[in-house]
Amino acid sequence: MQNLKRTFLGIALVTALFFGALPAGATEKLSKVEQLKTEKLAAQRGTVGQMLAEELLGENSGLLLTTYEKYVDAIAALRQQKVRAVIMDEGPAKRFLANVPGLAIMPEPLSEESYAIGFKKGNDALRSRVDEALEAMKQDGTLQAIIDKYNDNIDVNPEDIDLNVGAAGGKLVMGTEAGFAPYELKVGEGYIGIDIEMAAAIARRLGMELQIENLNFDALPMAVASGKVDMICAGISVTEERKKNMDFSINYVDGAKQVAVVRADDLSE
Amino acid sequence: MSSSLPQGRRGSTDRGTVLLVVCGLFLIALLFRSGFFAPASWQGFCAKFHQNFIEQRRYMMLVNGLKATLHMTFFATLIGLAIGLILSIIRVAHKGGARIGPLAAFANLYITVLRGTPVMVQLLIWNFTIFASARDLKTLYIAVLAFGLNSGAYVAEIFRGGIEAVDPGQMEAGRSLGLSYRVTMSRIVLPQAVKNVLPMLFNEFIALLKETSVAGYIGIDDLTRAGQNIQALTLEHSQPLVMVALIYLALVLVLSEGVRRLEARLRRSQR
Repeated sequence: MQNLKRTFLGIALVTALFFGALPAGATEKLSKVEQLKTEKLAAQRGTVGQMLAEELLGENSGLLLTTYEKYVDAIAALRQQKVRAVIMDEGPAKRFLANVPGLAIMPEPLSEESYAIGFKKGNDALRSRVDEALEAMKQDGTLQAIIDKYNDNIDVNPEDIDLNVGAAGGKLVMGTEAGFAPYELKVGEGYIGIDIEMAAAIARRLGMELQIENLNFDALPMAVASGKVDMICAGISVTEERKKNMDFSINYVDGAKQVAVVRADDLSE
Repeated sequence: MSSSLPQGRRGSTDRGTVLLVVCGLFLIALLFRSGFFAPASWQGFCAKFHQNFIEQRRYMMLVNGLKATLHMTFFATLIGLAIGLILSIIRVAHKGGARIGPLAAFANLYITVLRGTPVMVQLLIWNFTIFASARDLKTLYIAVLAFGLNSGAYVAEIFRGGIEAVDPGQMEAGRSLGLSYRVTMSRIVLPQAVKNVLPMLFNEFIALLKETSVAGYIGIDDLTRAGQNIQALTLEHSQPLVMVALIYLALVLVLSEGVRRLEARLRRSQR
Protein backbone atom coordinates (compact mmCIF):
# COMPACT_ATOMS: atom_id res chain seq x y z
CA MET A 1 0.00 0.00 0.00
CA GLN A 2 3.01 2.27 0.51
CA ASN A 3 3.52 2.16 -3.24
CA LEU A 4 -0.09 3.04 -3.88
CA LYS A 5 0.17 6.04 -1.56
CA ARG A 6 3.33 7.16 -3.28
CA THR A 7 1.69 6.82 -6.69
CA PHE A 8 -1.30 8.85 -5.53
CA LEU A 9 0.95 11.49 -4.05
CA GLY A 10 2.99 11.67 -7.26
CA ILE A 11 -0.08 12.03 -9.44
CA ALA A 12 -1.58 14.63 -7.10
CA LEU A 13 1.66 16.59 -7.18
CA VAL A 14 1.85 16.52 -10.98
CA THR A 15 -1.81 17.55 -11.24
CA ALA A 16 -1.31 20.39 -8.78
CA LEU A 17 1.72 21.63 -10.70
CA PHE A 18 -0.21 21.32 -13.94
CA PHE A 19 -3.16 23.36 -12.78
CA GLY A 20 -1.15 25.63 -10.54
CA ALA A 21 1.22 26.80 -13.25
CA LEU A 22 -1.21 29.41 -14.50
CA PRO A 23 0.51 32.65 -15.42
CA ALA A 24 0.05 35.57 -13.06
CA GLY A 25 -2.36 38.30 -14.12
CA ALA A 26 -0.95 41.31 -15.95
CA THR A 27 -0.49 44.42 -13.88
CA GLU A 28 -0.77 47.47 -16.09
CA LYS A 29 -3.26 47.60 -18.94
CA LEU A 30 -2.01 48.22 -22.46
CA SER A 31 -2.65 51.44 -24.31
CA LYS A 32 0.45 52.13 -26.41
CA VAL A 33 2.62 49.91 -28.62
CA GLU A 34 5.56 51.35 -26.68
CA GLN A 35 4.54 49.25 -23.67
CA LEU A 36 5.08 46.03 -25.57
CA LYS A 37 8.85 46.57 -25.54
CA THR A 38 9.21 44.61 -22.32
CA GLU A 39 6.36 42.15 -22.80
CA LYS A 40 6.16 38.59 -24.07
CA LEU A 41 5.13 38.67 -27.73
CA ALA A 42 4.22 36.08 -30.35
CA ALA A 43 4.32 36.02 -34.14
CA GLN A 44 4.05 33.54 -36.97
CA ARG A 45 7.46 32.21 -37.94
CA GLY A 46 9.08 33.96 -40.88
CA THR A 47 6.56 36.80 -41.10
CA VAL A 48 7.04 40.55 -40.99
CA GLY A 49 5.24 40.33 -37.65
CA GLN A 50 8.23 38.40 -36.30
CA MET A 51 10.61 41.02 -37.74
CA LEU A 52 8.67 43.89 -36.17
CA ALA A 53 8.46 42.14 -32.82
CA GLU A 54 12.22 41.57 -32.91
CA GLU A 55 12.77 45.27 -33.62
CA LEU A 56 10.43 46.25 -30.83
CA LEU A 57 12.02 43.96 -28.24
CA GLY A 58 15.60 44.63 -29.30
CA GLU A 59 18.11 42.49 -27.45
CA ASN A 60 15.35 40.90 -25.34
CA SER A 61 13.69 39.29 -28.34
CA GLY A 62 15.47 36.01 -27.65
CA LEU A 63 13.80 35.89 -24.26
CA LEU A 64 10.43 37.46 -24.91
CA LEU A 65 9.49 36.49 -28.46
CA THR A 66 7.85 33.16 -29.27
CA THR A 67 7.31 32.26 -32.91
CA TYR A 68 4.62 29.81 -33.96
CA GLU A 69 4.10 27.82 -37.15
CA LYS A 70 0.47 28.90 -37.46
CA TYR A 71 -1.50 32.01 -36.47
CA VAL A 72 -4.06 29.82 -34.71
CA ASP A 73 -1.33 28.66 -32.32
CA ALA A 74 -0.15 32.22 -31.65
CA ILE A 75 -3.71 33.37 -30.89
CA ALA A 76 -4.25 30.38 -28.60
CA ALA A 77 -1.07 31.35 -26.71
CA LEU A 78 -2.44 34.88 -26.38
CA ARG A 79 -5.79 33.67 -25.03
CA GLN A 80 -4.02 31.40 -22.54
CA GLN A 81 -1.98 34.42 -21.35
CA LYS A 82 1.30 32.87 -22.45
CA VAL A 83 2.03 36.06 -24.36
CA ARG A 84 0.63 39.59 -24.12
CA ALA A 85 0.32 40.39 -27.81
CA VAL A 86 0.52 38.81 -31.25
CA ILE A 87 2.04 40.91 -34.02
CA MET A 88 0.32 40.17 -37.33
CA ASP A 89 -1.32 41.53 -40.46
CA GLU A 90 -4.55 43.42 -39.95
CA GLY A 91 -6.58 41.36 -42.44
CA PRO A 92 -6.30 38.00 -40.67
CA ALA A 93 -6.35 39.79 -37.29
CA LYS A 94 -9.82 41.18 -38.04
CA ARG A 95 -11.05 37.71 -38.93
CA PHE A 96 -9.79 36.40 -35.58
CA LEU A 97 -11.56 39.26 -33.79
CA ALA A 98 -14.83 38.42 -35.53
CA ASN A 99 -14.64 34.72 -34.67
CA VAL A 100 -12.75 34.39 -31.40
CA PRO A 101 -14.17 36.03 -28.27
CA GLY A 102 -12.10 38.28 -26.02
CA LEU A 103 -9.63 39.75 -28.51
CA ALA A 104 -8.86 43.34 -29.49
CA ILE A 105 -6.53 45.18 -31.82
CA MET A 106 -4.35 47.99 -30.47
CA PRO A 107 -5.42 51.18 -32.27
CA GLU A 108 -1.89 52.21 -33.18
CA PRO A 109 -0.45 50.09 -36.04
CA LEU A 110 3.21 49.06 -35.96
CA SER A 111 3.82 49.63 -39.65
CA GLU A 112 2.26 49.54 -43.09
CA GLU A 113 3.50 47.05 -45.67
CA SER A 114 3.00 46.24 -49.32
CA TYR A 115 2.33 42.74 -50.59
CA ALA A 116 4.01 41.36 -53.70
CA ILE A 117 4.68 38.02 -55.36
CA GLY A 118 8.13 36.52 -54.71
CA PHE A 119 10.35 34.90 -57.35
CA LYS A 120 13.66 33.09 -57.38
CA LYS A 121 16.47 35.63 -57.59
CA GLY A 122 17.25 36.22 -61.27
CA ASN A 123 14.07 34.64 -62.67
CA ASP A 124 13.38 37.83 -64.64
CA ALA A 125 11.68 36.04 -67.54
CA LEU A 126 8.73 34.88 -65.45
CA ARG A 127 8.74 37.96 -63.20
CA SER A 128 8.36 40.39 -66.10
CA ARG A 129 5.52 38.34 -67.60
CA VAL A 130 3.71 38.24 -64.24
CA ASP A 131 4.34 41.97 -63.74
CA GLU A 132 2.79 42.67 -67.13
CA ALA A 133 -0.31 40.60 -66.33
CA LEU A 134 -0.59 42.18 -62.87
CA GLU A 135 -0.29 45.70 -64.30
CA ALA A 136 -3.03 44.94 -66.84
CA MET A 137 -5.23 43.56 -64.05
CA LYS A 138 -4.68 46.73 -62.03
CA GLN A 139 -5.64 48.86 -65.03
CA ASP A 140 -8.84 47.04 -65.99
CA GLY A 141 -10.05 46.66 -62.41
CA THR A 142 -9.81 42.86 -62.23
CA LEU A 143 -7.52 43.03 -59.22
CA GLN A 144 -9.76 45.46 -57.31
CA ALA A 145 -12.78 43.29 -58.09
CA ILE A 146 -11.03 40.27 -56.54
CA ILE A 147 -10.06 42.24 -53.43
CA ASP A 148 -13.60 43.63 -53.07
CA LYS A 149 -15.08 40.16 -53.46
CA TYR A 150 -13.31 39.04 -50.29
CA ASN A 151 -14.28 42.10 -48.27
CA ASP A 152 -15.72 40.53 -45.08
CA ASN A 153 -16.56 37.39 -47.01
CA ILE A 154 -14.78 34.08 -47.37
CA ASP A 155 -17.85 32.15 -48.46
CA VAL A 156 -16.48 31.14 -51.85
CA ASN A 157 -16.62 27.73 -53.48
CA PRO A 158 -13.10 26.69 -54.56
CA GLU A 159 -14.55 24.91 -57.59
CA ASP A 160 -15.71 28.27 -58.94
CA ILE A 161 -12.10 29.43 -59.32
CA ASP A 162 -10.82 28.60 -62.80
CA LEU A 163 -7.26 27.32 -62.46
CA ASN A 164 -7.00 26.93 -66.24
CA VAL A 165 -6.42 23.18 -65.97
CA GLY A 166 -4.80 21.61 -69.01
CA ALA A 167 -3.53 24.91 -70.44
CA ALA A 168 -1.02 24.70 -73.29
CA GLY A 169 1.53 26.96 -71.61
CA GLY A 170 2.44 24.40 -68.94
CA LYS A 171 2.20 24.74 -65.18
CA LEU A 172 2.65 27.81 -63.04
CA VAL A 173 3.42 26.43 -59.58
CA MET A 174 2.55 28.74 -56.73
CA GLY A 175 3.72 28.24 -53.16
CA THR A 176 1.47 29.53 -50.39
CA GLU A 177 0.48 28.99 -46.76
CA ALA A 178 -3.25 28.45 -46.68
CA GLY A 179 -4.00 29.78 -43.22
CA PHE A 180 -4.14 33.50 -43.99
CA ALA A 181 -7.71 34.50 -44.76
CA PRO A 182 -8.84 36.44 -46.72
CA TYR A 183 -5.70 35.93 -48.82
CA GLU A 184 -5.49 32.14 -48.87
CA LEU A 185 -7.42 29.38 -47.19
CA LYS A 186 -7.89 25.69 -47.79
CA VAL A 187 -11.55 24.69 -48.10
CA GLY A 188 -12.19 20.98 -48.51
CA GLU A 189 -9.72 19.90 -51.18
CA GLY A 190 -9.43 23.30 -52.85
CA TYR A 191 -8.19 26.80 -52.14
CA ILE A 192 -9.85 30.21 -52.00
CA GLY A 193 -8.69 33.74 -51.29
CA ILE A 194 -7.43 36.94 -52.90
CA ASP A 195 -3.97 35.54 -53.66
CA ILE A 196 -5.42 32.35 -55.15
CA GLU A 197 -7.87 34.16 -57.43
CA MET A 198 -5.24 36.72 -58.42
CA ALA A 199 -2.70 34.00 -59.27
CA ALA A 200 -5.38 32.09 -61.19
CA ALA A 201 -6.19 35.23 -63.20
CA ILE A 202 -2.47 35.73 -63.90
CA ALA A 203 -2.13 32.10 -65.00
CA ARG A 204 -5.09 32.49 -67.35
CA ARG A 205 -3.51 35.58 -68.87
CA LEU A 206 -0.23 33.72 -69.37
CA GLY A 207 -2.03 30.70 -70.81
CA MET A 208 -0.75 28.49 -68.00
CA GLU A 209 -2.32 26.11 -65.48
CA LEU A 210 -2.11 27.21 -61.84
CA GLN A 211 -0.88 24.56 -59.42
CA ILE A 212 -0.97 25.34 -55.70
CA GLU A 213 1.48 23.96 -53.15
CA ASN A 214 0.41 24.47 -49.54
CA LEU A 215 3.60 24.84 -47.48
CA ASN A 216 4.51 26.34 -44.12
CA PHE A 217 5.19 30.06 -44.31
CA ASP A 218 8.81 29.79 -43.20
CA ALA A 219 9.43 27.15 -45.90
CA LEU A 220 8.28 29.43 -48.74
CA PRO A 221 11.60 31.26 -49.38
CA MET A 222 13.36 27.87 -49.50
CA ALA A 223 10.74 26.48 -51.89
CA VAL A 224 11.09 29.32 -54.38
CA ALA A 225 14.89 29.46 -54.13
CA SER A 226 15.17 25.72 -54.82
CA GLY A 227 12.90 25.98 -57.85
CA LYS A 228 10.31 23.69 -56.26
CA VAL A 229 7.73 26.39 -56.96
CA ASP A 230 7.79 29.19 -59.58
CA MET A 231 6.51 31.92 -57.34
CA ILE A 232 5.34 32.43 -53.80
CA CYS A 233 2.16 34.33 -53.18
CA ALA A 234 1.04 34.39 -49.56
CA GLY A 235 0.46 37.99 -48.51
CA ILE A 236 4.24 38.42 -48.47
CA SER A 237 5.36 41.88 -47.40
CA VAL A 238 8.17 43.46 -49.39
CA THR A 239 11.16 44.11 -47.13
CA GLU A 240 14.78 45.03 -47.80
CA GLU A 241 15.87 41.88 -46.00
CA ARG A 242 13.75 39.66 -48.24
CA LYS A 243 14.91 41.48 -51.39
CA LYS A 244 18.38 40.06 -50.72
CA ASN A 245 17.09 36.53 -51.21
CA MET A 246 14.28 36.87 -53.74
CA ASP A 247 12.91 39.17 -56.41
CA PHE A 248 9.49 40.75 -56.08
CA SER A 249 6.75 41.57 -58.56
CA ILE A 250 5.08 44.97 -58.48
CA ASN A 251 2.97 45.46 -55.34
CA TYR A 252 -0.61 44.26 -55.48
CA VAL A 253 -1.68 45.48 -52.04
CA ASP A 254 -0.47 48.66 -50.37
CA GLY A 255 -1.00 49.91 -46.85
CA ALA A 256 -1.43 46.50 -45.25
CA LYS A 257 -1.22 47.38 -41.57
CA GLN A 258 0.76 45.36 -39.07
CA VAL A 259 -1.04 45.39 -35.75
CA ALA A 260 -0.76 44.04 -32.23
CA VAL A 261 -3.61 41.72 -31.23
CA VAL A 262 -4.18 41.66 -27.47
CA ARG A 263 -6.80 40.38 -25.03
CA ALA A 264 -9.77 42.75 -24.89
CA ASP A 265 -9.68 42.92 -21.07
CA ASP A 266 -5.98 43.81 -21.21
CA LEU A 267 -6.51 46.90 -23.34
CA SER A 268 -7.26 50.16 -21.53
CA GLU A 269 -10.23 52.13 -22.81
CA MET B 1 0.80 -0.95 8.76
CA SER B 2 -1.18 -2.01 5.79
CA SER B 3 2.06 -2.39 3.90
CA SER B 4 3.11 -5.14 6.28
CA LEU B 5 0.13 -7.27 5.31
CA PRO B 6 0.85 -10.01 2.82
CA GLN B 7 -0.27 -9.11 -0.66
CA GLY B 8 -1.77 -11.68 -2.93
CA ARG B 9 -2.58 -11.48 -6.62
CA ARG B 10 -5.86 -9.89 -5.72
CA GLY B 11 -4.18 -6.88 -4.15
CA SER B 12 -2.02 -6.15 -7.16
CA THR B 13 -5.02 -6.34 -9.51
CA ASP B 14 -6.83 -3.80 -7.37
CA ARG B 15 -3.85 -1.53 -7.50
CA GLY B 16 -3.77 -1.87 -11.26
CA THR B 17 -7.43 -0.93 -11.49
CA VAL B 18 -6.96 2.05 -9.20
CA LEU B 19 -3.99 3.24 -11.23
CA LEU B 20 -5.97 2.86 -14.44
CA VAL B 21 -8.90 4.84 -13.03
CA VAL B 22 -6.59 7.58 -11.73
CA CYS B 23 -4.81 7.78 -15.08
CA GLY B 24 -8.18 7.90 -16.84
CA LEU B 25 -9.36 10.75 -14.63
CA PHE B 26 -6.08 12.52 -15.25
CA LEU B 27 -6.56 12.14 -19.02
CA ILE B 28 -10.08 13.55 -18.79
CA ALA B 29 -8.74 16.46 -16.71
CA LEU B 30 -6.12 16.98 -19.41
CA LEU B 31 -8.79 17.06 -22.10
CA PHE B 32 -10.73 19.63 -20.07
CA ARG B 33 -7.61 21.69 -19.54
CA SER B 34 -6.69 21.51 -23.21
CA GLY B 35 -10.02 23.08 -24.03
CA PHE B 36 -11.57 20.20 -25.93
CA PHE B 37 -14.63 20.79 -23.79
CA ALA B 38 -13.84 24.49 -23.57
CA PRO B 39 -17.32 25.91 -24.24
CA ALA B 40 -19.04 25.84 -20.89
CA SER B 41 -22.25 24.23 -22.03
CA TRP B 42 -22.98 20.99 -23.81
CA GLN B 43 -24.74 22.95 -26.56
CA GLY B 44 -21.65 25.11 -26.98
CA PHE B 45 -19.53 22.01 -27.34
CA CYS B 46 -21.92 20.55 -29.91
CA ALA B 47 -22.05 23.80 -31.86
CA LYS B 48 -18.25 23.93 -31.98
CA PHE B 49 -18.12 20.27 -32.95
CA HIS B 50 -20.62 20.86 -35.71
CA GLN B 51 -18.67 23.86 -36.98
CA ASN B 52 -15.34 22.03 -36.91
CA PHE B 53 -16.27 18.69 -38.39
CA ILE B 54 -19.77 18.59 -39.88
CA GLU B 55 -20.34 21.93 -41.61
CA GLN B 56 -19.37 21.90 -45.28
CA ARG B 57 -18.38 18.25 -44.82
CA ARG B 58 -15.16 19.25 -43.07
CA TYR B 59 -14.76 15.70 -41.75
CA MET B 60 -13.79 14.85 -45.34
CA MET B 61 -10.62 16.90 -44.82
CA LEU B 62 -9.73 14.57 -41.95
CA VAL B 63 -10.66 11.51 -44.01
CA ASN B 64 -8.47 12.62 -46.90
CA GLY B 65 -5.68 13.47 -44.47
CA LEU B 66 -6.00 10.02 -42.94
CA LYS B 67 -5.76 8.51 -46.42
CA ALA B 68 -2.51 10.36 -47.08
CA THR B 69 -1.12 9.28 -43.70
CA LEU B 70 -2.00 5.62 -44.27
CA HIS B 71 -0.71 5.76 -47.85
CA MET B 72 2.67 7.12 -46.70
CA THR B 73 2.91 4.68 -43.79
CA PHE B 74 2.03 1.62 -45.90
CA PHE B 75 4.41 2.23 -48.78
CA ALA B 76 7.19 3.53 -46.55
CA THR B 77 6.80 0.32 -44.56
CA LEU B 78 7.30 -1.79 -47.70
CA ILE B 79 10.39 0.21 -48.74
CA GLY B 80 11.72 0.06 -45.17
CA LEU B 81 11.29 -3.72 -45.01
CA ALA B 82 13.05 -4.32 -48.32
CA ILE B 83 15.98 -2.02 -47.54
CA GLY B 84 16.27 -3.21 -43.96
CA LEU B 85 16.41 -6.86 -44.99
CA ILE B 86 19.09 -6.25 -47.63
CA LEU B 87 21.25 -4.05 -45.37
CA SER B 88 21.07 -6.45 -42.43
CA ILE B 89 22.07 -9.44 -44.59
CA ILE B 90 25.01 -7.45 -45.99
CA ARG B 91 26.20 -6.61 -42.49
CA VAL B 92 25.75 -10.13 -41.14
CA ALA B 93 27.38 -11.72 -44.19
CA HIS B 94 30.30 -9.31 -43.87
CA LYS B 95 30.76 -10.30 -40.26
CA GLY B 96 30.51 -13.94 -41.31
CA GLY B 97 33.53 -13.51 -43.55
CA ALA B 98 32.01 -12.74 -46.96
CA ARG B 99 34.25 -10.51 -49.11
CA ILE B 100 31.89 -7.59 -49.53
CA GLY B 101 33.89 -4.83 -47.86
CA PRO B 102 32.63 -1.87 -49.94
CA LEU B 103 29.01 -3.02 -49.68
CA ALA B 104 29.28 -3.42 -45.93
CA ALA B 105 30.92 -0.01 -45.65
CA PHE B 106 28.03 1.47 -47.62
CA ALA B 107 25.50 -0.27 -45.37
CA ASN B 108 27.28 1.09 -42.31
CA LEU B 109 27.37 4.60 -43.70
CA TYR B 110 23.70 4.42 -44.71
CA ILE B 111 22.58 3.30 -41.28
CA THR B 112 24.80 5.84 -39.51
CA VAL B 113 23.59 8.80 -41.55
CA LEU B 114 19.89 7.95 -41.70
CA ARG B 115 19.64 7.01 -38.06
CA GLY B 116 21.83 9.91 -37.01
CA THR B 117 19.70 12.71 -38.49
CA PRO B 118 16.09 13.70 -37.73
CA VAL B 119 13.55 12.40 -40.20
CA MET B 120 12.10 15.88 -40.66
CA VAL B 121 15.45 17.27 -41.76
CA GLN B 122 15.81 14.36 -44.17
CA LEU B 123 12.35 15.04 -45.54
CA LEU B 124 13.18 18.70 -46.18
CA ILE B 125 16.48 17.75 -47.85
CA TRP B 126 14.79 15.20 -50.12
CA ASN B 127 12.13 17.65 -51.17
CA PHE B 128 13.95 20.97 -51.41
CA THR B 129 17.48 19.88 -52.31
CA ILE B 130 17.70 16.46 -53.93
CA PHE B 131 14.38 16.54 -55.76
CA ALA B 132 14.30 20.32 -56.10
CA SER B 133 14.01 20.19 -59.88
CA ALA B 134 11.71 17.15 -60.04
CA ARG B 135 8.60 19.25 -60.48
CA ASP B 136 6.31 16.60 -61.91
CA LEU B 137 7.09 14.06 -59.20
CA LYS B 138 4.22 14.00 -56.72
CA THR B 139 5.29 15.25 -53.30
CA LEU B 140 3.62 12.24 -51.75
CA TYR B 141 6.09 9.92 -53.50
CA ILE B 142 9.02 11.97 -52.20
CA ALA B 143 7.62 11.62 -48.69
CA VAL B 144 7.14 7.86 -49.12
CA LEU B 145 10.75 7.59 -50.28
CA ALA B 146 12.09 9.73 -47.43
CA PHE B 147 10.16 7.86 -44.72
CA GLY B 148 10.88 4.48 -46.34
CA LEU B 149 14.63 5.05 -46.58
CA ASN B 150 14.70 6.33 -43.01
CA SER B 151 12.73 3.39 -41.71
CA GLY B 152 15.03 1.03 -43.64
CA ALA B 153 17.94 2.04 -41.43
CA TYR B 154 16.02 1.17 -38.25
CA VAL B 155 14.62 -2.05 -39.71
CA ALA B 156 18.16 -3.10 -40.71
CA GLU B 157 19.26 -2.91 -37.11
CA ILE B 158 16.18 -4.81 -35.94
CA PHE B 159 16.82 -7.58 -38.47
CA ARG B 160 20.52 -7.72 -37.65
CA GLY B 161 19.71 -8.20 -33.98
CA GLY B 162 17.23 -10.91 -34.91
CA ILE B 163 19.67 -12.79 -37.14
CA GLU B 164 22.45 -12.59 -34.58
CA ALA B 165 20.09 -13.88 -31.92
CA VAL B 166 19.62 -17.13 -33.85
CA ASP B 167 21.91 -19.81 -32.43
CA PRO B 168 25.11 -19.96 -34.54
CA GLY B 169 24.73 -23.74 -34.35
CA GLN B 170 21.84 -23.42 -36.81
CA MET B 171 24.12 -21.99 -39.46
CA GLU B 172 26.86 -24.54 -38.67
CA ALA B 173 24.37 -27.41 -38.85
CA GLY B 174 23.01 -26.26 -42.19
CA ARG B 175 26.48 -25.77 -43.65
CA SER B 176 27.69 -29.16 -42.39
CA LEU B 177 24.68 -30.79 -44.06
CA GLY B 178 26.04 -29.48 -47.33
CA LEU B 179 23.66 -26.54 -47.81
CA SER B 180 25.12 -23.38 -49.32
CA TYR B 181 25.43 -20.20 -47.22
CA ARG B 182 22.61 -18.62 -49.20
CA VAL B 183 20.21 -21.52 -48.73
CA THR B 184 21.04 -21.90 -45.03
CA MET B 185 20.53 -18.19 -44.51
CA SER B 186 17.26 -17.89 -46.43
CA ARG B 187 15.67 -21.19 -45.41
CA ILE B 188 16.91 -21.79 -41.88
CA VAL B 189 18.28 -18.66 -40.20
CA LEU B 190 16.05 -15.89 -41.64
CA PRO B 191 12.68 -17.53 -40.88
CA GLN B 192 13.70 -17.90 -37.23
CA ALA B 193 15.05 -14.35 -37.15
CA VAL B 194 11.89 -12.88 -38.67
CA LYS B 195 9.76 -14.69 -36.14
CA ASN B 196 11.88 -13.25 -33.34
CA VAL B 197 11.72 -9.67 -34.55
CA LEU B 198 8.09 -9.47 -35.74
CA PRO B 199 6.86 -7.62 -32.64
CA MET B 200 9.74 -5.16 -32.85
CA LEU B 201 9.03 -4.60 -36.55
CA PHE B 202 5.42 -3.81 -35.81
CA ASN B 203 6.48 -1.32 -33.17
CA GLU B 204 8.75 0.33 -35.71
CA PHE B 205 5.82 0.76 -38.08
CA ILE B 206 3.63 2.18 -35.34
CA ALA B 207 6.41 4.71 -34.75
CA LEU B 208 6.55 5.39 -38.48
CA LEU B 209 2.81 6.09 -38.57
CA LYS B 210 3.31 8.86 -36.03
CA GLU B 211 6.47 10.16 -37.69
CA THR B 212 4.60 10.88 -40.92
CA SER B 213 2.93 13.76 -39.07
CA VAL B 214 5.79 16.05 -40.17
CA ALA B 215 4.87 15.62 -43.86
CA GLY B 216 2.99 18.92 -43.74
CA TYR B 217 6.35 20.67 -43.97
CA ILE B 218 6.67 19.70 -47.62
CA GLY B 219 3.05 20.47 -48.40
CA ILE B 220 1.32 17.13 -47.91
CA ASP B 221 -2.07 17.42 -46.28
CA ASP B 222 -1.73 14.44 -43.98
CA LEU B 223 -3.89 13.88 -40.90
CA THR B 224 -1.99 16.40 -38.76
CA ARG B 225 -2.05 19.03 -41.50
CA ALA B 226 -5.75 18.38 -42.11
CA GLY B 227 -6.37 19.32 -38.48
CA GLN B 228 -4.34 22.50 -38.95
CA ASN B 229 -6.30 23.32 -42.12
CA ILE B 230 -9.54 23.00 -40.17
CA GLN B 231 -8.05 25.23 -37.45
CA ALA B 232 -7.29 27.88 -40.06
CA LEU B 233 -10.85 27.64 -41.39
CA THR B 234 -12.77 27.75 -38.13
CA LEU B 235 -10.12 29.53 -36.01
CA GLU B 236 -10.88 26.95 -33.34
CA HIS B 237 -7.73 25.75 -31.65
CA SER B 238 -8.42 22.71 -29.51
CA GLN B 239 -11.07 20.51 -31.04
CA PRO B 240 -9.35 19.79 -34.37
CA LEU B 241 -6.06 18.99 -32.62
CA VAL B 242 -7.64 16.71 -30.02
CA MET B 243 -9.66 15.00 -32.73
CA VAL B 244 -6.48 14.37 -34.74
CA ALA B 245 -4.81 12.99 -31.61
CA LEU B 246 -7.75 10.68 -30.96
CA ILE B 247 -7.62 9.33 -34.53
CA TYR B 248 -3.88 8.62 -34.23
CA LEU B 249 -4.50 7.00 -30.86
CA ALA B 250 -7.26 4.80 -32.27
CA LEU B 251 -5.00 3.69 -35.12
CA VAL B 252 -2.12 2.92 -32.77
CA LEU B 253 -4.41 1.03 -30.38
CA VAL B 254 -5.70 -1.13 -33.21
CA LEU B 255 -2.17 -1.83 -34.45
CA SER B 256 -0.91 -2.51 -30.91
CA GLU B 257 -3.74 -4.99 -30.37
CA GLY B 258 -2.58 -6.67 -33.58
CA VAL B 259 0.97 -6.92 -32.21
CA ARG B 260 -0.32 -8.32 -28.93
CA ARG B 261 -2.29 -11.04 -30.70
CA LEU B 262 0.65 -11.80 -32.95
CA GLU B 263 2.92 -12.19 -29.95
CA ALA B 264 0.41 -14.50 -28.26
CA ARG B 265 0.13 -16.55 -31.43
CA LEU B 266 3.92 -16.82 -31.73
CA ARG B 267 4.26 -17.91 -28.11
CA ARG B 268 1.67 -20.61 -28.69
CA SER B 269 3.53 -22.06 -31.67
CA GLN B 270 6.72 -22.15 -29.64
CA ARG B 271 5.36 -24.65 -27.18
